Amino acid sequence: MLGTSLRSGLIGVLLSGLAMGVAQARTLDTAYGEVEIEGTPERVVTLYEGALDTALAAGITPLGAVTTRGGDGVAGYIEAHLDADRPAIMGVVREINIEAVLAQQPDLILAPPRLPQEQFQLLSRIAPTVVPPTQETSRDVWKSEARLFGQALNRENEVNDAIVEVEQRGEELAAALAEADVGGVAYLVRWMPAGPMVMSEHIFSTGIMAAAGLDVEDGDLLNEGGIHSDILSLENLSRVDGDWLFLATLNADGQDALETATQSSAFNRLNVVQQDRVVPVDGQLWTSASGPLAALAILDDIEAALLP
Amino acid sequence: MSFAARMDARAAFLVLLMALVAMAGTSLLIGAGEVSPSRAFAVLWGSADSEAHFVVWELRGPRTLIGIAVGVALGISGALLQAVARNPLAEPGLLGVSAGAAFAVALALVLGASAATLRIGVAQLGALVGCICVLGVVRMRGVGDDPVRLVLAGAAFSGLLGSLSALLLLYDQRAADEIRFWVVGGLAGRRLSDLVAVLPSLLVAGGVIALIARPLAALALGERVATGLGHHPAVIRWLVVLCVAVLVGAATAMAGPIAFVGLVVPFVARAIAGPDIRRTLWFCLPIGPLMILAADIVSRVVVAPSELPLGVLTALCGAPVLIAVVRAKRLPML
Repeated sequence: MLGTSLRSGLIGVLLSGLAMGVAQARTLDTAYGEVEIEGTPERVVTLYEGALDTALAAGITPLGAVTTRGGDGVAGYIEAHLDADRPAIMGVVREINIEAVLAQQPDLILAPPRLPQEQFQLLSRIAPTVVPPTQETSRDVWKSEARLFGQALNRENEVNDAIVEVEQRGEELAAALAEADVGGVAYLVRWMPAGPMVMSEHIFSTGIMAAAGLDVEDGDLLNEGGIHSDILSLENLSRVDGDWLFLATLNADGQDALETATQSSAFNRLNVVQQDRVVPVDGQLWTSASGPLAALAILDDIEAALLP
Repeated sequence: MSFAARMDARAAFLVLLMALVAMAGTSLLIGAGEVSPSRAFAVLWGSADSEAHFVVWELRGPRTLIGIAVGVALGISGALLQAVARNPLAEPGLLGVSAGAAFAVALALVLGASAATLRIGVAQLGALVGCICVLGVVRMRGVGDDPVRLVLAGAAFSGLLGSLSALLLLYDQRAADEIRFWVVGGLAGRRLSDLVAVLPSLLVAGGVIALIARPLAALALGERVATGLGHHPAVIRWLVVLCVAVLVGAATAMAGPIAFVGLVVPFVARAIAGPDIRRTLWFCLPIGPLMILAADIVSRVVVAPSELPLGVLTALCGAPVLIAVVRAKRLPML
């Protein structure tokens, strides 16, 4: 009798020790120094499209998220990864509704890089807030951001698996494109009523294009560190005349952008247009999103357009 | 007016016309792209350079013509609005008429409109509402008599319309790309069809202005004199307001809101031609396009291979003139 209770007591001590080991606090390096997080957060709020994407890839549906740029809700490609419970909207990325965040009583907040310090301090009083220490945009910065969010979510393995999946899928597509001999120089352009803006070759989506083996260029039109060029004069459209032209607007519907562009005679003169190698794409996905799910969706788009 | 002075005015008008022809030529020769002035010049003499041919006749040609039409419309409407408001600072861009037209277009876009012809009508309707608001302010005691206060009221009105347009941008971000153009005007990417669509309304307005120029000049002598000469001041004022609305609405539909042109052009025209509204209107015809084309050429060159919005440049040129007019000890009473 005494033996059994002693034994169960011992097991209990051992078990609780094990549990403590699991729940041990992790220390994350963020833009605002070290942030400690314990256990596996369950009430997660994402205030950044890349964080929402990563959380879903890791198998967690956030309670709250910000709208995609230029939209009223989350990005269209995200919808496929949501079931009945949808994240509540916490405002737009540049204008976060802190009261809405508070109402969700989160135990973890995943925030955009370059979140202003004042907002960081407010949000930190609600829950541990993770701000990626990203200084400038580059092709691969989404991976380190995703790993940081994965650490915060206590789902490092899932996030690493998702990144590896993207890398493998990119290599496969690059091989398939090389075999079909349909690669070449590609530009990503956002069409505005007065003309096109060329997206940098160093951003998330152009990085994914490059991973698929496309030779992405931006025509040397950007200032150092810029995301996109100023609106290019129609006289200089030939600067984006490569083998492929990916055409987006802020609108979800790339087809709209194509229709606007084809009203311009300067656009119709381009070789890439005459050879029917313009690919209308969803601006929410291609010029605003980041993360492993977005990467896979972009690779799907490239495959559908270039490999008939 | 003496014979000699009349000859001087004729000579000045001819010089301005020639300057306009030269400016239009320059507008064909200079651009943000790789087609150099010499290549463009060769095209004008029949060279077979197909790229230069395209750039000159399909890109620079239409925007030059649209620039001329916008310059005429804004210059004339500035002179008319100043005459009827009896105030040298009354200007469609500063007083919110252009902002009214742009807001109306933005509203129509949010409500789902996209047809070009509808857009012109909407812009002209918005400009009309803007004009009526301006004249309402002019009739207000203490505000209308003081040119500077009128501009302040206009700035407040423009600001209100601007923030309403911004509100629409927030409400419907899907139309954001389109609406952004209606906040700062420009000529880049405009097509000849935009001009063709507004041309009938411009011609009708021009005809009406030709008919009311004489009574309008009589009105400058005072309401009683004008009535004594057999004119109807109230009718003339309403016709002027309608013409201004049609002109500003058409200009805004073509190029977005462009401020200060309606201020600077009549100012220069009066300096050359004297206070008579009929001669001011004649001189606005070449001076308006001259200013728009000059600003547009600069807008293409300064940040090539991109372009600066034209509205930014006219504001840069126009603001000093506004300050000069306000600082002048005696504002000319119209």
